Order: sequence, then structure tokens, then C-alpha cells
Amino acid sequence: MKDHIRVACVGNPNCGKTTLFNALTGSRLKVANWPGVTVEKVEGKTEYEGVEIQLVDTPGIYSLTCYTIEEKVTRNCVLEDDIDVIINIVDASSLERNLYLTLQLLELGKPVVLALNMMDIVKERGMEIDLHRLPEMLGHIPVVPVSAARREGLGILLHAVIHHYEEGMEEYLLDYPPQIEDKIEKLQVMFRAQYPTHAAQRWHAIKLLEMDEEVTKDHPIQVTDIVDRSYEKEIIQCKYAHIETIVAETLFYKKGRRGGTDRADALLTHPVWGIPIFLLIMALVFFLTFTVGDALKGILEMGLEALSEAVRGILQAVHTASWLQSLVVDGILMGVGGILTFLPNICILFLALAILEDSGYMARVAYVMDSVMGKVGLSGKAFLPMILGFGCTVPAIMATRALETESDRRKTMLITPFMSCSARLPVYVLFSGMFFGKYSALAALSMYVVGMVIAILSALVINRFQKGKANNSLLIELPEYKRPNPRTIRIYVWNKLKDYLTKAGTTIFLASIVIWFVLNFGPAGLVERPADSFGAILGRWLEPVLAPAGLGMWQIAVALISGISAKEVVVTSFSVLFGVGDAGNGAGLTAVMEGLRAANPDFGPLNAYCLMLFCLLYVPCAATLATVKKESGSLVFTLKMMAFELILAWCAAVLVFQIGSLF
Amino acid sequence: MTLYDAKVGGEYQIRELLVEDAVTRRLEALGLNEGTKILILNRKKKGALILKVRGTRLALGKHIASHIEIREM
Repeated sequence: MKDHIRVACVGNPNCGKTTLFNALTGSRLKVANWPGVTVEKVEGKTEYEGVEIQLVDTPGIYSLTCYTIEEKVTRNCVLEDDIDVIINIVDASSLERNLYLTLQLLELGKPVVLALNMMDIVKERGMEIDLHRLPEMLGHIPVVPVSAARREGLGILLHAVIHHYEEGMEEYLLDYPPQIEDKIEKLQVMFRAQYPTHAAQRWHAIKLLEMDEEVTKDHPIQVTDIVDRSYEKEIIQCKYAHIETIVAETLFYKKGRRGGTDRADALLTHPVWGIPIFLLIMALVFFLTFTVGDALKGILEMGLEALSEAVRGILQAVHTASWLQSLVVDGILMGVGGILTFLPNICILFLALAILEDSGYMARVAYVMDSVMGKVGLSGKAFLPMILGFGCTVPAIMATRALETESDRRKTMLITPFMSCSARLPVYVLFSGMFFGKYSALAALSMYVVGMVIAILSALVINRFQKGKANNSLLIELPEYKRPNPRTIRIYVWNKLKDYLTKAGTTIFLASIVIWFVLNFGPAGLVERPADSFGAILGRWLEPVLAPAGLGMWQIAVALISGISAKEVVVTSFSVLFGVGDAGNGAGLTAVMEGLRAANPDFGPLNAYCLMLFCLLYVPCAATLATVKKESGSLVFTLKMMAFELILAWCAAVLVFQIGSLF
Repeated sequence: MTLYDAKVGGEYQIRELLVEDAVTRRLEALGLNEGTKILILNRKKKGALILKVRGTRLALGKHIASHIEIREM
């Protein structure tokens, strides 16, 4: 008996693989109710009855073909990594479609355990599954009802995994019509002769008959006399015909009831009201982020102020050098602390996004926005990464993997940074709060709208010049709506807050120190006034460039350059520049405003708006650039993207400032 | 007729998939095969539609929908 076994969680998108994986391993991976959330395989560990179980979570797939990135990742994992047992997670409420993958997994010849998830929905809908007959019709594999969300049936599942591994797999043969079966047998003999040590020989034979691109390439066999054409269509139809018999014998409808999902969809995907409802939901999300978040922010600010005073007191008491006091209090505490006070806003934003994602609404957005996206040559699916971009651009760029073609991916990568991410939120809160009084929420909200409009306009322009347009038609599964799971939401929000705190502790911490040095040292060493510092010298070079946009101040130039490390750092720079720890509260606001006015008496709401606009559009943060480089695999593309966004930001800000100055 | 001409609430049967090969295979894997019964749940006047097939909902864009031949039941 082996003391450790490797187990892969495989299943359709959205059937609860990651929820189950999290429940089994205690991991905290992101889960959401729309297809394409997991894009890479992830490993974790658990122990049961003294056996160490290494679990691999894989991206959701409908089929073991290799048409999408997700399919390739999962298929290679199941085939090549030494997986001992496959847990096939099945959404029991959608048994018919889910069993298609099951039949393919069974053909691999590896032990498969079927985990029937979402049995509560089955019950709710008045359906019943014959748990005795189902395993009989699937070659006697263990079938275990589980609830990944409520963590039920997990012990039985792990027991079944270990037991089934020790017992081994009965050979399962799906009956194909004689002429196909005949070909499969011949191919299997030939395959065995050429690759005697290979596992899954029947599966390889079937794939050769389907003329599967990768199998044919990796295992060249002279089979032209048997494989005169692709038999994929027939093979798929055989499987579905077989599934129809299974479903007819195992699934019973007690009463036909129209589900809540159909009723909700009648409204949410309404041909006319669908888009207005979506816009209203997003407006509500941001409205809550700004109003409720701001109310909570006050509490943190008071705490920070007290902390700054206490630290300054301690440093003075132990007679620390005054430059060190300044570095710690004015540099680090104000730089990092200023960012931390935005935590409530960010928390609410992610809470709202988590609820949207977990409820099942996200996939509907792809449908609702399909007509708009169609006009710019993208499918509605490309809108999903863009919504994720409201949270953070980095995962949004990774989510473009769910798109079918490389040109779609690049186009979406290019426009996703225009969706205002949570790091730009502090910039909006700070400047709209300072200059727009009671219209501050509106001013901040307008940034989100402007970003979306510019994203779509950019895609439109790119589409005009693009050669060889493909027909990118929408194809997405719409999951059942469900009540958001508190555990899922908690994991999601906590992960995001942790990222934010980590960023505050690393990037922003370092940036604060660097900014403090740049603003406190000049050619003559430690300087009295920041205006004599290196930062000011550098900033003054850029003043003429930024002047037409109403941003011709060296302070702003410094803030914008440092903001490339992370967009929050724009706020950090202002805090350090004007010595304000909590740039958000009343006193802090006045100090920053006074600072700005002292440096430039004409700096008013129009200038502030141009600054916000510039921050929205200019070069994305370093982490985003690195992700774009990695995901596109092209430095040239990344550099072009930087140039495009910089030029666009400048043009937009200049346009707004020049037109605005006329009034 | 094609799926693009289908009416909301109508039940149809797939006759033939005439989209690009790769898309055809994906649709087949999702359970849209020749002879499969479908129900149209929702649609926009010009554009995407939502259908129910084998107990799940799929949203399909105009290009795909207008290249799937169906017959009324």
C-alpha cells in the first residue's frame, strides 16, 4: 500500500471543483459562479486514514479535447502527471451534460471516483437520482454525494478515493457501433506495438480515430488505412446516446417546477432592460464603495493620527536624529498609513464584486453586453475580464485566457487597464473629496464611466484597423443563480485585502522611502525645502510637457512617475510631499489643498479632474505590465501598449483641460 | 430555418451544425448534436440568444446561432 497518492479534481467549469478542493485541503483559492475562474492547476495536500493525499485542482473543462488553454492544462495534468485517482466532480443538477466528461475520463482507464455535487439543487428542483443504478451503469465506480459548500460527504469521498485506488479499476467499455469498435481495436493493437509502456491505450486509440491534433502529433502511427477521416462526430454522438440511456434510467422528475433562475433571467437578461439593469448594479456598487466606505474611513484615520503622534513622541523621547524621525513619520507612516485608510472602500468594493461573481450574474453580463462588444469585434465574454479589472488589473489580464483567440486576448489586454482598478480608487477619493465637495461621489463615479467608454472606443478603433477579422461569437454556459456562499465571499474578500495589505507593506513601503529620499535630498545633500530636492529637479523637466493638461507642477510629475510602481503611490507621494499622514480626512485634505494652492494658485477642480483622468489612463502599474508581458509573451506588445496609453492619457487630459478652460 | 430565426419559448431540434470545425466540436461536446432537442429561453431582437439544452443553459452569439440549422418540433 502506498502511503501517498496523487488525486486530480476534474470536472466541468463551475461544478464546484475549487470549492471542494478548498474544503478538502483548507486552501483559500478564489471561487466564483461563472465559467473560467481557475486558469492554472493548483496543488494542495490533505491526509486521510494515514494516507497522504496530494490534490491537484484543474481548470474546468467540458471535454478532453485540446481546443482551449484550459483543456490543454487539464488534459496534460491527467495524462502526464502521475495521477493515481481522478475525482470527477459532477454538478448533479446538470447530470446529462456533466456525464459526457465522465465517459471520457473512464476511457483513460485510471480509477475515477464520481463526486455528485449540488444535490441540494437537485432536491429543490424536485428531481431524484438513483444512486444505486448510476454506478452500475458507469462500470461500478464509486459515486459519492457531497456538498462542497457545506463540507458534507468529504470523509466518505476520501475513503472512496483510497479504497478505489487499492481495489483498482474495472475495465469500462462503452459500446460503440461495430465498425467503430473494430477500428478502435485495430488502433489499440498498433498503439500497443509501438508504445508498449504507455497507459490509457484505448483512450489513445480513440483519440487517433478522432484525429486529435496533439495525440496524432505526439504519437505518429501509420494509420491512414484505418483512419480515413475523423470519426469524432460519431464518437461524440455515441457517448451522448449512451448518456441519454443512463439519464433515462437514473434521473427522475417528481414535479416539473419552473426554477427561480428562469424567472430571474426573464428580468436580468431582458432584451431591453438587461443593459440598464447592469449599469444600475455597477453604479450601486461604486456608490456604496464611496459613501459607506468613506464613513468607515474616518475611524481608521483617527487611529493613524494617534499612532503617528505616539511614534513621533517616542522617537523624540529617545533623541533620534531629526532626519530619521522625518523618514519614519513623514515618509513611512504617512506613505503607508495614508494608503491603509482606504481599506474600508476597498473592502466594500471587493465584497460587492464577490457577491456578483458568486451569485451567477457574471455570465449573464457576457450575454447582456454581447451586442455592445460585438460592435467592437469582441464577444460578450471579453467583458468579463474587464469587470474583474474594477478589482485589480492583474487577475483580469490572466482571465483573458478564457477567450478563444490570441488576437481577442491581446485586444482585451490592451483595454482592460482602462477599467478603474481598486488602486486608482484612493486617487479618486482624495482628489474628488478635495475639489468637488458634495459632488465628490459623482466626480469619482464619472471616472468609471469614462474608463469604460474609452475602453470600448479604443477597441472600436483597433477593430477598424485590424486585418482578417474572425467571427468571435459568444459561447458561454449560464449557471444557476444561487445564494452567495458566506465562506466563499469571506475567502474572496480576505484574499484581496491580504493582497492590498501586502502591497502596502512591500511596494508602497519601499516607494514611500524612495520618495522621501528623493524629496529630502538634493545635489547639496539634505535639503530644507522639497523644491531644492532631486525630485523637484526631475519634475521640473516634465513641467512643460504636463502644462497643457493643467498639470504643470513638478510635484505632480513626481507623483505620476512614482505611481507607475503602484497607482496608490500617487496618493502616497502627495502625503509625503505635503506632510499629511491621512490625506483623506478634513485636516489632511486642507493641508494637501493648501500645498497645491501654494505651489500653483490656479489649481482648481478642472486641474484635479485632469489629474484623475491622467491617472486613469496613463501607463498601468508595474505588476500589470509584468503580467501583460508574461501573458502576451511579447515585449514589443507591452511597450506598444505603454506608449499607446501614455499618449492617450496626455491627449485626453489636454483636451479636457483646454476645453474646460474656455468656460 | 436557422437557430437565429427561432422564437422565444419555441422547442426545436438541431438538424445540422454549420460553424467552423473547432466551434462545431465544442458545441457537440456541450451536447448540441444532430437531433438534440432545445428550448429557446430568451433572445435579443438582433443578436445573442439563450437556450436550454440537456438541462443546462447556453448563451450563443449571432454568428453561431445563424449557422445552426434547426427544425420545429
